Amino acid sequence: MWGVIKSVLAAFLGVQKEQQRREDFEKGNPMAFILVGIIMALLFVGLIALVATWAAG
Amino acid sequence: MRTLLVWLAGGLSLVGSSQAALASGWNMPVGVTDLSREIYNLHMVIFWICVVIGVAVFGVMFYSLIRHRHSKGAKAANFHENTTVEVIWTAVPLLILVGMAIPATATLQKIYDPSDAELDVMVTGQQWRWRYEYLGEDVAFNSNMSTPRAQIRGDEERGENYLLEVDEPLVLPINRKVRFLFTSDDVIHAWWVPDFAVKQDTIPGFISENWVRINEPGIYRGQCAELCGVDHAYMPIVVHAMEEDDFETWLVERQEMAAEEALGVDREWEMDELMERGEGVYGSICASCHQVEGQGSPPAFPALAGNEQMLADIDWHKDTIINGVSGTAMPSFRTTLNPVELAAVITYTRNAWGNDTGDAVQPAEIAERLER
Ligand code: HEC
Ligand SMILES: [Cu+2]
Repeated sequence: MWGVIKSVLAAFLGVQKEQQRREDFEKGNPMAFILVGIIMALLFVGLIALVATWAAG
Repeated sequence: MRTLLVWLAGGLSLVGSSQAALASGWNMPVGVTDLSREIYNLHMVIFWICVVIGVAVFGVMFYSLIRHRHSKGAKAANFHENTTVEVIWTAVPLLILVGMAIPATATLQKIYDPSDAELDVMVTGQQWRWRYEYLGEDVAFNSNMSTPRAQIRGDEERGENYLLEVDEPLVLPINRKVRFLFTSDDVIHAWWVPDFAVKQDTIPGFISENWVRINEPGIYRGQCAELCGVDHAYMPIVVHAMEEDDFETWLVERQEMAAEEALGVDREWEMDELMERGEGVYGSICASCHQVEGQGSPPAFPALAGNEQMLADIDWHKDTIINGVSGTAMPSFRTTLNPVELAAVITYTRNAWGNDTGDAVQPAEIAERLER
């Protein structure tokens, strides 16, 4: 699980180790990456909204 | 050492030439409000950040190109992927962008805060003039470009403020927060005065807000900044910023004029008066489409000189000017012109250029027609 989160975070930044990428593609479960990706995207939007309201307040 | 000196000289001449560019008027103006200064400073900070990054990136690039050239026997390094470097070149721009966004957002918040204004001015874009209304003060007027058509055609020498002069400037007090309410009667225009750092679209059916607090008295000029039709270039903005006392005097004067004009509606007007007034209104409002001599430019704009339907049917003539012709370029003048101006321009078009009907249309009658 932690490995999936780390890979998604790396994808957010756009940088990933070649070795890790190969491992994810060979052993990983696509559904897990998609789900974690969507959840983390929502969290990111929520975080930005929070920061914005805090800054504007 | 020598390379360093060359770089230093290059950098200095860049700074010098950009300083010259500032003075030459190529840069955006510093402006005359606190906010415009702030926007200018923001612009300069971001500009210099871009210059430093540009010089650094291209410097490294050209240095590498020249230093490691093939003729000097350079061998290409053949490696793939370096996570550390990739993280750095992703994180550094991110930090720079966030660093620029923080002061920019702080300024944006000030721009979007028109609260606590001491004067409200409604600004309405119209093809092709601006209308200013001092809300709650009973003062409203149109601001038409006053550059003569002969200068535009090239028959006359261009004046100093060619295309940037109006018959009635917007008058504002300094040191007071003035809120603008922007809207439009027809298409999208944009009210742009660089010295205030205000550029706001005026959208039909919407009201958008913006504000200024001017620090220095003076005359500030601007233009419509949204392509809005054939005379887009002919709807300039002139703002006359005065000391507060002078502004109060001006406002009272305008209120008295408005009251007098309202009285004028009830009295009987002479033919000569109507014709004189009508000629002025026609010249500033109608001539851009129907031409100075009433010859129009058919088929787009019908001639009014010798227009048989118009001369035969006075009711239709009045209604056309009051209500416009929907679906065509002919606008409604119901709110743009007051009863006196309407009566005058109708009288003028019925009696100028050989249209000798002898009809003197009275403002009182038009006022009554407007009520219906
Ligand atoms: C933006 C251009 C424009 C302006 C400004 C304008 N008009 Fe017109 N006007 C037109 C057009 C186009 C028509 C033809 C409408 C139609 O197709 O029925 C027209 C029609 C008319 C007519 C009816 C004549 C006819 O044969 O259809 C009268 C009268 C008239 N205008 C008077 C005026 C007066 C007076 C003013 C100034 C207060 C004025 N117009 C300003 C564009 C303009
Ligand atoms: Cu315009």
